[in-house]
Amino acid sequence: MARYLAAKLAGASVSLVAVALTAFFLFRVLPGDPVRALTRGRPTSAAQLAQLRHQLGVDRPLAAQFADYLLRLTHGDLGTSYQYKTSVTGLIGEHLWATVYLVGTATLLSAVLGLRSGIRSAWRHGSVGDRVRTGVAVVLWSVPSFWLGLLLIVVLAVGVGPVPGLFPTGGASTPGTHGAVAVLTDRLTHLALPCLTLVAVIYAQYALTMRASLLDEMGSDYLTTARAKGLRDDQVRRRHAVPNALLPTVTLIFVNVGFVVSGSVLVETVFSWPGLGSLFYEALSVPDLPLLEGLFVVFSAAVILMNLLADLLYPVLDPRVRTA
Amino acid sequence: MTAADPAPMSRGDRRRSLVRLGRAYARNRAGVAAACLLLATVGAAVAAPLFVGAADLSAVHAPGAPLRPPSARFPLGTDGYGRSMLAVTVWGARISLAVGLLATVVSVGIGALVGICAGHFRGWTETVLMRVTDWFLVLPTLVLAAALASVLPPGTATVVVAIGVTSWATTARLVRAQTLTVEARPYIERARALGGDHWHVTTRHVLPNVAPLVLAQTTLTVSGAILAESTLAFLGLGDPTAVSWGTTLQLARQVGAVSAGDWWVLLPPGLAIAGVCLAFTVCGRALEAVLNPRLAGRR
Amino acid sequence: MSPDRSVNRRAAAGPRRWLALAAACAALAVPTVAATRPAPARAASRTLTIATNGSVDSLSPFLAQRALPTYIHRLVYDFLTNYDAHDFHPVPAMATAWSTSADKLVWTFTIRDGMTWSDGQPVTADDVAWTYRLMMTNRDAATANGNFVANFRSVTAPDPRTVVVTLNQPQATMLALDVPVVPRHVWESHVADIGTFNNDTRFPVVGDGPFILSGYAKNQYIELTANPTYWRGRPAFDRLVFKYYKDSDAAVEALRKGEVDFVDHLTPAQYDALRTARHTTLNRSPGKSFYALAVNPGATTTSGQAFGDGNPALHDQRVRQAIMHAIDTGALVRRTLGGYGEAGGGYLPPIFTANHWRPDASAAYAYDPDRANRLLDAAGYHRGADGRRTTPDGRPLTLRLLGQTQRPADAQNATYVAEWLKAVGIEVTTRIVDQGMLGDIETAGNYDLAFDSWITNPDPDYVLSIQTCGARPATAGATFPGDDFICDPDYDALYARQIAEYDPAARAAIVRQMQQRLYADAYIDVLYYPDILEAYRSDRIAGMDRQPQPRGMYSGQDGYWSWWSAKPGKRSASPTGPAVLAGGVAALVILGVGGGLVVARRRRAAADDRE
Repeated sequence: MARYLAAKLAGASVSLVAVALTAFFLFRVLPGDPVRALTRGRPTSAAQLAQLRHQLGVDRPLAAQFADYLLRLTHGDLGTSYQYKTSVTGLIGEHLWATVYLVGTATLLSAVLGLRSGIRSAWRHGSVGDRVRTGVAVVLWSVPSFWLGLLLIVVLAVGVGPVPGLFPTGGASTPGTHGAVAVLTDRLTHLALPCLTLVAVIYAQYALTMRASLLDEMGSDYLTTARAKGLRDDQVRRRHAVPNALLPTVTLIFVNVGFVVSGSVLVETVFSWPGLGSLFYEALSVPDLPLLEGLFVVFSAAVILMNLLADLLYPVLDPRVRTA
Repeated sequence: MTAADPAPMSRGDRRRSLVRLGRAYARNRAGVAAACLLLATVGAAVAAPLFVGAADLSAVHAPGAPLRPPSARFPLGTDGYGRSMLAVTVWGARISLAVGLLATVVSVGIGALVGICAGHFRGWTETVLMRVTDWFLVLPTLVLAAALASVLPPGTATVVVAIGVTSWATTARLVRAQTLTVEARPYIERARALGGDHWHVTTRHVLPNVAPLVLAQTTLTVSGAILAESTLAFLGLGDPTAVSWGTTLQLARQVGAVSAGDWWVLLPPGLAIAGVCLAFTVCGRALEAVLNPRLAGRR
Repeated sequence: MSPDRSVNRRAAAGPRRWLALAAACAALAVPTVAATRPAPARAASRTLTIATNGSVDSLSPFLAQRALPTYIHRLVYDFLTNYDAHDFHPVPAMATAWSTSADKLVWTFTIRDGMTWSDGQPVTADDVAWTYRLMMTNRDAATANGNFVANFRSVTAPDPRTVVVTLNQPQATMLALDVPVVPRHVWESHVADIGTFNNDTRFPVVGDGPFILSGYAKNQYIELTANPTYWRGRPAFDRLVFKYYKDSDAAVEALRKGEVDFVDHLTPAQYDALRTARHTTLNRSPGKSFYALAVNPGATTTSGQAFGDGNPALHDQRVRQAIMHAIDTGALVRRTLGGYGEAGGGYLPPIFTANHWRPDASAAYAYDPDRANRLLDAAGYHRGADGRRTTPDGRPLTLRLLGQTQRPADAQNATYVAEWLKAVGIEVTTRIVDQGMLGDIETAGNYDLAFDSWITNPDPDYVLSIQTCGARPATAGATFPGDDFICDPDYDALYARQIAEYDPAARAAIVRQMQQRLYADAYIDVLYYPDILEAYRSDRIAGMDRQPQPRGMYSGQDGYWSWWSAKPGKRSASPTGPAVLAGGVAALVILGVGGGLVVARRRRAAADDRE
């Protein structure tokens, strides 16, 4: 068990280091001079350009910049953003909650929805309900998320015909809202549409996986034994089949969280959600190298961390792994 | 997932098993419907030059006024340049499908190669290849593709490379697992004992056994690639001069069609993307079910 | 982990579980609540909300270079002078009067009496002198506006009401110093960290403009409150909120719903669609920007070293003029701009009537393919059997046309221009690239034709300066302050004359001459000037002042006239009550649906168990 843990932890650390190194070189090859992007259209003398170049540190040789980057990284410092002129760690910290809040809620809901729908489908596989549920899941899985978001804005935020526009079209809050209840309702109304878009796109995978693994489980001999013992179908399902079938789906949910974080770039852009995705979208056009590096590390770290968590959870959920 | 046949197959065996697979597939109604839809789309894309001329796609000499609702002359209305949405959507299928399929070829090609090599050679080759694969698995695909798309010169080829290079890792893992299963079978050892070199073993024995899985994985990857194409176009990282479903949506957004309520420019490309992706997914699932009989009765 | 053992307990706790889910969502919401700084409470305050998609690099007047924060600074800090709402001529602001010495090198400004900072301290000449001197002596403080003081020899404040600026060379732009003046008593403690202090740690920020910067959440909103003691008079709205919308369609939808009161930068389609919207007033104004085709003159450094691979055929003025005759600028306005713009002419847009220059009908590049053909024939580029022209040494005449993906018009215009040039026998390959890559290609001098656009200012000095020899790079391939590597000694001589000419009319005459030169050289060809399309809620805003007048814009003014003069409409209080509540309930329903399903299922299951 200890060896299992140590191996997983070591693997995650190696990946993290590899990602940190990739981040530096990946974005250095991006075209574009940040100094030009930041000053274009403003009266700027050649001396100011040189000064800005010096301030950003882009006038130094690549090797020196890399050494700098590594040194900073050991202190957990991701540098200073070119366009916001403030620390990248601070910037990411400011925007992290909005993303965690959106992705967290969406994951929670899609897990609940996906698991329920998958279990129901598997239990009555072949029924009309199963076909409808599976059909809906596969259809939603095929829809481009940004397109769905735009349609939701048109229908639910603006309103079409008799449907009133109940939700805000973008943002995470209305500035200047006061009072606990007002603030809470304000946050929830803003959350609803982006969250709905994310849920629609990601729950399908959970539903389909849950359905498939439960079907696998239901073919097992021990269920027949359980039924033979006189347990009713419903009890068999809940006490034996479901817990065992949960394993692959829960793993998937964990592994997926990391990807949903970086995938939320699109939804955040459509709904002007002030999270990491919007930050990335903005940084790409400058290019704001330190910010891009930082975000890349955070996005990848989210995947690595969630993978690690899934690995650690595995033995808890499935005793067979513990001995393996 | 395990392959259906545990023994080596002769050519005749293979033909018979193909026919059997075909019959099994034909019993899957959703799969057949999806395949028909795909054939129709591909047919329309290939035949597009017959009924969509250069004049229909010219931005300068656009046949109609911009952003007009559906009419007798333009059954799906006109886009931001004044081109018929019907012509644009049909023509868009060419690039969207081409990008989707080519990107898939790149992605599955790399994935299969890496997977087979890792599974066949084992040892340090496997360690290195799988570490690289794991590393690609944790990299945020969209972020990586976006970075790649802005580095390379703009164009359809760039989009293909950006999608292909960033999405092969899953295939590699699947193929490696399958290769390991195949190589564990006794007849491979026999082939090796009879003097079969790496090339012989991998092409004659491993590849045919891995191929069905690769095929199923391919159909699933295509829908991902088509979605990725539209996503890159949406983020402004595609080639804006090419007519694809993604760029058509991007153009609709740029001219402000969403808030203008011009549904006819939003719905056709979006529905086309969703429809084709759905069809590929359904085909992939049907293929999987056919190839994996243990699941077949249940799906 | 096995869920069945606790079924009964959970069933009993059904509603609680539902609540728990809501609570979990709420708990997740709490950090964002905490992260956004609370704005000062004002129950029935009248708020004007403006949609923006601009980003904020810094709120420090010494560092901010982006359009939105520099615009905000115009609202929260007074400048020495302001631009008139009617015709952009410089008018008094902090300075009530000014005079110059006979040698044109000493400017004396009289500072307005009785002005106060929002913390009650008086505004004095010392604040002005200190701000300017800081930018002259501290390189970090010069980041944003150093260019304005580069020619200053000294700045002094002999008494609290007088500022004296001594120049190295005469400088006609002294009444167009777009430099926010900050309170010395507040900023003195930030000199040490002036390069990193972003002015966003303590709100309200001490200022002396018509509004006070009172709140800011990155990528969410900027909040300003009315300055009750502003010398020109208190704004009628209590609050001004710039709300961030990344997606322009979302901003327009927000206007339809009344979430925001003002949107700008509308596309023609959005503008036309809003015609039928209720309570919405549209505004169309001539714009301050030009959209041009830049022709590579052959890139050179300031020392004259040539680099890049621009096509030498373009060194022939006849070829450049032929290109302009082949392009139908009127059609571009109709097609790309939907008619909302004006076809190109002189370098400076017609909105700046004092400086705009218009070519005579005889000299103008009218759309005339025949003339283009004749010019190309005369230049020695003859047509082959396939209709394509070849250079005198027999190679095909092919030009590369560069555009950027972030400017939507480029892709469309590239298609048009390529087709028109093909019609006169010039083959064109178009490349629409990411703006970073466009920058790299341009600084390397590796282009033939490129789309180019600039926003111009009431004072033309800056946009004129980017076409001078001195604006070229010092070393090949380095980022440079200029635009298109143009170097014309006659133009430069005129440039030097206009900057030393203090009489506005005489200076305008020189500026027109410069535009005439640029036009005849045809290296930088203005294709059109796009209009500015805006819309606002007439139920929230009864009226505002335009700039210029009568036809002008509300947002992006050089000055604060629109927001300062805005009068609240009938329904100007912020939206509250039923609408928000209904949305909240609906959100709870959607968020709770998952939880609700679980509860329902659990209950039924529990009931089964009990049987």
